Amino acid sequence: MLELFTPHRETWLYRVNPALKFVVFFAFMLIVLFNQNFHFALNQLILYGVLVYSFSGYSWRKLLLFSVPIVISFVSSAATMMLFGKGVTIWWSWGLIKISEESFNYGLLLGFKTLSFGFISLVFLLTSRPILLFYALMQQFRLPSKYAYSFIASIRLMPVIVEELQTRSDALKIRGVHFPKGLKGIFQRLRMYTVPLFAQSIRRAQRVAVAMEAKRFQMGAKRTYYYPTTYERVDAVFVIVMVVSFASALVLSVR
Amino acid sequence: MKRLKFSDLLITIMIGVVFGITMKFWDDLYTVVKPMLPIARQLLYGMWFMVGPFAFLLIRKPGVALLASIAAASLSAFIGGGFTVLIYGFVQGLAAELLFASFRYKKFGIVVAGLAGVASCFAGFFLDLFYGYANLESWALFVKYGLRVVSAFLFTGVFAYLIVRALEATGVTNLIRPVSKEEYSLLDN
Repeated sequence: MLELFTPHRETWLYRVNPALKFVVFFAFMLIVLFNQNFHFALNQLILYGVLVYSFSGYSWRKLLLFSVPIVISFVSSAATMMLFGKGVTIWWSWGLIKISEESFNYGLLLGFKTLSFGFISLVFLLTSRPILLFYALMQQFRLPSKYAYSFIASIRLMPVIVEELQTRSDALKIRGVHFPKGLKGIFQRLRMYTVPLFAQSIRRAQRVAVAMEAKRFQMGAKRTYYYPTTYERVDAVFVIVMVVSFASALVLSVR
Repeated sequence: MKRLKFSDLLITIMIGVVFGITMKFWDDLYTVVKPMLPIARQLLYGMWFMVGPFAFLLIRKPGVALLASIAAASLSAFIGGGFTVLIYGFVQGLAAELLFASFRYKKFGIVVAGLAGVASCFAGFFLDLFYGYANLESWALFVKYGLRVVSAFLFTGVFAYLIVRALEATGVTNLIRPVSKEEYSLLDN
């Protein structure tokens, strides 16, 4: 599992300040979300595709593997829209299903957006370490340390929670628990799985918080950081490359 | 009034993380078992609105619904949901938070929690409009979001409320809830 997420080589994207990278990609994501122009959506998709496949530092085979779920969600979102979307110029219809020119284009637009989101997220996740993201958010973007450290503590405890969920699942299996069908079954399943998990996690979080405060962690106090993060030259390069390629995606689409 | 202590904050975020993991686990299971059942999928959609109202019912302090929702969304984003989950989590959490605020954070019942879920659902619909998911034929639109509203009320109102009740029975809620006046006055006797 760990080997799967080890890059082939570390590209320049790895050295960009994670918080800056996050903010830039997040802004791009908002633009993708609100954009309704077909060509602009396609150009952006190409840009993010190039970013993932050339600069993430992973081999082609791994990247294709990571792209599988993204492509599946592309197909499902585009297909639903093509079959059930609204439109006037009808190409083909059968019962409730109706493919029109408009719904086909909307389907593709929706699909491009889904792919773009998938690629932006993938390139960010593959080239950044979550813990450093929070350190950089605190140092470069003034995120209050109480939030950042709560997130960091929760991320560190994630494996424990996953293990507990697995244990709970095994325990229910070995006790031969059968759930009724329908909504009642869904509720029972939800209760059986989550109540012990929540009870344990709340106790654990409470203990961690008390321990941190006992070691003089104070909300809102001035502090130093174990991992110092700064802006470097590569950050300027990153911003310039991103702005230029994004602008060209925009210009090429309005022509 | 009731400010968040550091332990409340950590517990809220931890709840978000637990939700994120459970939802992911379930979603995977569900995708494998029933890939092509759109109606069932919409009926289960309310699960994604649950985290904010659930955290509020549990901790009963301002800001908790939004924070828990963001935490769950960030976790889902990190384990493969992508950045979109983050913006949906933020907007849906904000809607739930505003609904609780409109009751001055004083109501913790089934109806208010359910309404918070419905508010989240509408906020999600608003984003879907821009994303392009809502460009459907009117019957399909009605079925999709109608089912979603029902599911939102069911999961965030009924289910979340009942699970919080079950947690109260375990006693962990005594760790987090602010002590009320009546409980202080009990000491006077």
